[in-house]
Amino acid sequence: MRRFDYHRAETLEHASRLLTELGDDTFLFAGGTDLLVEIRERLRRVRNVVDIKAIPGLSDITYDETRGLTFGALVTVGRLERLPLVRQRYPNLRAAFASLGSIQVRNRATVVGNICRASPSADTIPPLIADGAFVHIYSRTDMRVVPLSEFFTGPGRTVLAKGEIVTGITVPPAADNSGKAYLKHGRRKAMELSTVGVAVSLLMEEGVCSDIRIALGAVGATVLRASQAEAMLRGTALDAATVKSAADKAMEECTPISNVRASADYRRDMVGVLTGRAIKQALETFA
Amino acid sequence: MNMTTPIEKREFKIVGKSVKRDDVLEKVTGEAQYTGDVKLPGMLYGKMKRAAVAHARIKSIDVSKALAYPGVKAVLTHENVPRVLHYGSPHPRSASCTKDQYILDDRVRFWGEGVAAVAAISEEIADEALDLIEVEYEPLPAVFDPDEAVKPGAPILHEVGPGGNLVLDPVRVNRGDVEAGFAEADFVLEGVFSGGRPHPAYMEPNICIADWDGSNKLTVWISTQTSFMVRGILAEVLGLPLTKVRVLVDHMGGGFGAKQDCFQHEFLCALLAKETRRPVKMEFTRHETFVAGRARHPCKVWLKQGFRNDGTIVARDMKLVYDSGAYGSHGPGVTTVGTNAATSLYRCENVRIEGRCVYTNTPITGAFRGYGVVQSYYALDIQMDEAAERLGLDPAEVKLKNAVRQGDIAPSGHAIVGHGLETCIKHGIDAIGWKKLRERDRTPDPKRPHIRKGWGVGCEMHGSSAYPGIKEQGNATVKVNEDGTVTLLTGAAGLGTGAHTALAQIVAEELGVRFEDVGVIHGDTDVVPWDIGAFASHTTYLVGSAAKIAAGKAREAVLERAAMKLQVQVGEIDASEGRVFVIAEPGRFISVAEAIGPSKGIPAANIVGNGTYEPTKSYSFAAHFTEVDVDTETGIVEVKRVIPVHDVGRVIHPIAAQGQIEGGIQQGIGHTLTEDYVIDKKTGRSLNAGLVDYKMPLSMDMPDIETIILEAAPDPGGPWGAKGVGEDPIIAIGPSIANAIHDAIGVRFHHYPITPEDILKALREKDA
Repeated sequence: MRRFDYHRAETLEHASRLLTELGDDTFLFAGGTDLLVEIRERLRRVRNVVDIKAIPGLSDITYDETRGLTFGALVTVGRLERLPLVRQRYPNLRAAFASLGSIQVRNRATVVGNICRASPSADTIPPLIADGAFVHIYSRTDMRVVPLSEFFTGPGRTVLAKGEIVTGITVPPAADNSGKAYLKHGRRKAMELSTVGVAVSLLMEEGVCSDIRIALGAVGATVLRASQAEAMLRGTALDAATVKSAADKAMEECTPISNVRASADYRRDMVGVLTGRAIKQALETFA
Repeated sequence: MNMTTPIEKREFKIVGKSVKRDDVLEKVTGEAQYTGDVKLPGMLYGKMKRAAVAHARIKSIDVSKALAYPGVKAVLTHENVPRVLHYGSPHPRSASCTKDQYILDDRVRFWGEGVAAVAAISEEIADEALDLIEVEYEPLPAVFDPDEAVKPGAPILHEVGPGGNLVLDPVRVNRGDVEAGFAEADFVLEGVFSGGRPHPAYMEPNICIADWDGSNKLTVWISTQTSFMVRGILAEVLGLPLTKVRVLVDHMGGGFGAKQDCFQHEFLCALLAKETRRPVKMEFTRHETFVAGRARHPCKVWLKQGFRNDGTIVARDMKLVYDSGAYGSHGPGVTTVGTNAATSLYRCENVRIEGRCVYTNTPITGAFRGYGVVQSYYALDIQMDEAAERLGLDPAEVKLKNAVRQGDIAPSGHAIVGHGLETCIKHGIDAIGWKKLRERDRTPDPKRPHIRKGWGVGCEMHGSSAYPGIKEQGNATVKVNEDGTVTLLTGAAGLGTGAHTALAQIVAEELGVRFEDVGVIHGDTDVVPWDIGAFASHTTYLVGSAAKIAAGKAREAVLERAAMKLQVQVGEIDASEGRVFVIAEPGRFISVAEAIGPSKGIPAANIVGNGTYEPTKSYSFAAHFTEVDVDTETGIVEVKRVIPVHDVGRVIHPIAAQGQIEGGIQQGIGHTLTEDYVIDKKTGRSLNAGLVDYKMPLSMDMPDIETIILEAAPDPGGPWGAKGVGEDPIIAIGPSIANAIHDAIGVRFHHYPITPEDILKALREKDA
């Protein structure tokens, strides 16, 4: 393990100041499940680590029917995974949380950390984007709120400016007429990075799909929305033929690469298969 | 698990029972000492600089900045280490081949090869210092494919050896008349099979600690399967007598065969310790276990066989090419064993088989569970399945018909003992209702229309001991202490297999004491008798036999002593569970302690039994029956259920044997479906040297395994008929999966791993 300096921030202001003053190669540290591995494997050059675990107010989870689900930057994946509310109202999030790493990893890792790492294959991002989640960002001058779908600018890159810190995430309330699914595709059932991940969140009104969002993981520089496929599905009854055409459209919309995990062609094929399956699964709520 | 048919009507007290393993408490409490737990005062940490080029000459190497870095104590390069050409494996078999390795060379032959080593006061400083070593390379043309490597004009890796990038002269086996056989055939099948580069991925990375004392004696703590071989090669290369090298191995976190090589860092660790006069520890990262460890030989197998319409084989023509990577290591052994194995499993009188082993500019391949046989039996078993398909016959019946049996010539050249393979196949057919499965309704489940279900059977046999390639020797010393407890001294390594428990069971049974009263001392080359190493599925068979002999001698001495005290003849008494009793009058007994302990001023008897055993070979057999689900939309294959039926002769510890079988199946599933250490064919760079992208199946991926262990064909070579079980289970699972996939979707695969992409591509080709 390469050496680094450890700093413990007392407040958001303190953490933000450290990020600015210590210069490049300074990173926030919460769960550490990605960062420490990256340091050890020499994948990331790190000189300073700023521990934010002592900052008060970042561990809360709240839910109300108008605002939705809000959780802080220190809330672990495991805590959310076990929350009855998540299990009942957000089966898509529950599926993503339960598929991340192992139980041990999930008990350390934070959802906000998984998002800020900005990996195109991160499991928590597609269902949160499909649900229309937004992120709360602190800076020493003001606070801002950014839709998660606009948060990422590339692999490992986000809109965060130097000294900005994500303090939490809000997911809109889960309507009674909503259907949600997240399907992760990999070579094994645990400790796996997605080859492809597909999230679908939809609303049904009197047998017609009034809204749908499809988010595709690991098939582009960031998690992508399949907006043309979505457009084909809105206002339809989501019959098999339309779903098939939309799934084909989603395959056209994604921009996968080939690597040791899978070829671009295979990833594109899986976008088609999983989009169809995810819509079917989301509709099972109404069955 | 169920067990059937005891082979000998003998009442066992300890053998055949799943006694509590002697190391279980230490391991579950974390108290067990592994090499990494050893901490010595003043210990330094060593790290290796590895080449990021596949083939090059080192033009210059500048270590001045690294040496000047605070905390760095020594830096070694090819310019200041002894230049001794040595074998990659200190193994007697490899000793028959070319010496092709230096500790450090002025040439790099694969991406990841070590070019320098640093010792520093912390691991971090050593790691940082590596970046300060400046190496200038003169790149050389490289070759990554065995077919390319043997073409005229290909870049040559070594000046030594047979030449043309061959690791050894081709191994040829000819029996009968192959051309006449083909002339008799009703039909011929021909195919090319290939295997990837699975890695053993043992939990404990390679590690060693070296320390020199004031008398210039070197002590090495190390995770190795072959401690006496390490002692021998270190002594040879460092120019020391064996009295000046002591090798210590306590617990190990696995080896699977790969820890029987001598690695660059092991020599360098000793040299850094010598240079600094301080203990030095060198431990691989997980990345290094891939690039600098040992994987299974990738292979290409061409197989052509002639069959009669009743399914019997009349001719077998076969060529195997194993990829040795940049150095020879176990290439000669693997090639010899894999090639000879192909004469057997399914009977054929006319065989012509040629095995080659080729150098390429890729990481070194070496010994790995299933040693060359995984590759050759994958081809043999799948083609047998294809023959059955072509004839419209049941593959299990056709395999049964062709199975080797009593009296057939084994790969080792001697006669097969018993009907192990036939019994395994027959037993499996009945146990799972194979006939009904074959005739089942194949309509897909309407709830999961994209899933196709398949069943397959795969067979294997594997030798216990490396005979005739190595004339082996097992040794044991049994000492009886004055309180009636017993100490077994053995050089057999404890890889985590439970071998020491099995040896203690054998000693307790033979000597007539309680299992709990036997202690095992192992892993200190200064103390225990010489040992050949833990490999070739032979520890229970070979060292178990030596331990039985040693315990038998100790028993004779105990009985003699007891006879005097009981005032009877030796023939009238027997020992069991720590008591010596009069056979005719079981109520009349004394304890072993009373028999040999001190009395009336006379010291206790010094009872020591030595056993040496030189075996030939026995063969264990298995048939695996495997169920898979194939997702025809994603190409994902899920192994749902495996019924492994094994004949291992006398079972010493049923749960340990079952554990070996389950572990082998897990590894074999990985090799067949997900695991492949991928080398970029353009640069020689490793593409997945780590556990993120090298995909081993985990507990969640495991199928139901219903192990059946038979004692159908005991071999007189092992203790009470015991044979090996270590390597067998990894061999049959692969073809059973490939055959099950065919049963599910009607597509044949001739390679491993069979990836989801392969499945989809094949399904599309089939539909087109």
